[in-house]
Amino acid sequence: MNDLSAPTVARNRLRRVFSIIGEGLAVTLAGLALAVLANQLSPRGLSLTRNYFPAIASTNLDIVRNVVATVTNLPPTETLEGELRAAGMQLAVSNQVIAWFADPRRLTGHIIFVDARNEGEYLAGHVPGAWLFDPYHPEKYFPVVLPAAQAAEVIVVYCHGGDCDDSVTAATLLKDVGIPGGKISVYGGGIGEWEALAQPVETGAQNSDHLGKGAP
Amino acid sequence: MSQAQTGSDRRREAWLNLAARWILGGAYVYMGGAKALQPVDFLKLVRQYDLVHHATVLNAIAAWLPWFEMACGLFLMAGIAVRGTALVSLVLLIPFTAAVLHRALALKSLLAISFCAVKFDCGCGNGEEFICRKLAENAVLIALSVWLLARSARCDSIQGGSS
Repeated sequence: MNDLSAPTVARNRLRRVFSIIGEGLAVTLAGLALAVLANQLSPRGLSLTRNYFPAIASTNLDIVRNVVATVTNLPPTETLEGELRAAGMQLAVSNQVIAWFADPRRLTGHIIFVDARNEGEYLAGHVPGAWLFDPYHPEKYFPVVLPAAQAAEVIVVYCHGGDCDDSVTAATLLKDVGIPGGKISVYGGGIGEWEALAQPVETGAQNSDHLGKGAP
Repeated sequence: MSQAQTGSDRRREAWLNLAARWILGGAYVYMGGAKALQPVDFLKLVRQYDLVHHATVLNAIAAWLPWFEMACGLFLMAGIAVRGTALVSLVLLIPFTAAVLHRALALKSLLAISFCAVKFDCGCGNGEEFICRKLAENAVLIALSVWLLARSARCDSIQGGSS
């Protein structure tokens, strides 16, 4: 059993190595086929052809902001303001957003709030009356949000706040479909700051009237 | 006596093999499943590595990788093509670990903190984690992959030699 010649042993070893590599390739192909199929069948599956991060949000905003803020000693919101201004949009601060919320024009749809988080987060608590617009599934939300955005004079887009850039992505998508950038303001503090300021929060669907206050 | 010992050694090895397959396979199913449930979140995390700039390639990675990991995990747990899957696992884990390490080093110098204090969501399926813990986890997964690859190859060689 142990009297195999050296070339035979080497040949057997090489055969084993190729056999393992072949098995690895077969696993890769089978795994890929299953992955493609699962993504196609999954209701949460991603589209391969869509650009989920249009224009202004195409770079890694949180890291860019942090680097710029470190180099310039400016808070991250100031660098975001510059990026938005360059794209023809504005950055809104909490006082301004609270004033817009209290403005009677909000009740007639001339001032609207757009929540750029996902549906689960929206249902857990949003600015009362805000429209849900998950920018990663725009086809689902454009039909209802677009007419409201076209009719509005002021559109306030928000997400979590902090380094969340989904509000910028949503604002860019709205601008890309023809909403004038001058009407669009991104609330940098987001729902996190809104709740910390003890502003009203609505849970469930839009205008569900299930109101509460954020915890300061 | 020696035959009984060999039998018990084989049984122990079979159990160790099974445990290694289930631990590695379970980790892949868990981590892949967490990402497959929230593909958009995973897409955002992949984008933060700034390694891929083409939208279609980025989308393909985020769309397929979680399911691919789950498939590998299931193959391992079911004992299907263990050598090949262990090899694929190694081929996946080494560049992933390098990418996570690279990003952690970038964050370390950016935030001016100690290496082990760096904490971020690497897109591995466990949420935010301290880098040293993540690297230790990956080292265990790599060791299990190497072990499975070596054991399966050796078993194959013994079977081949005795036939």
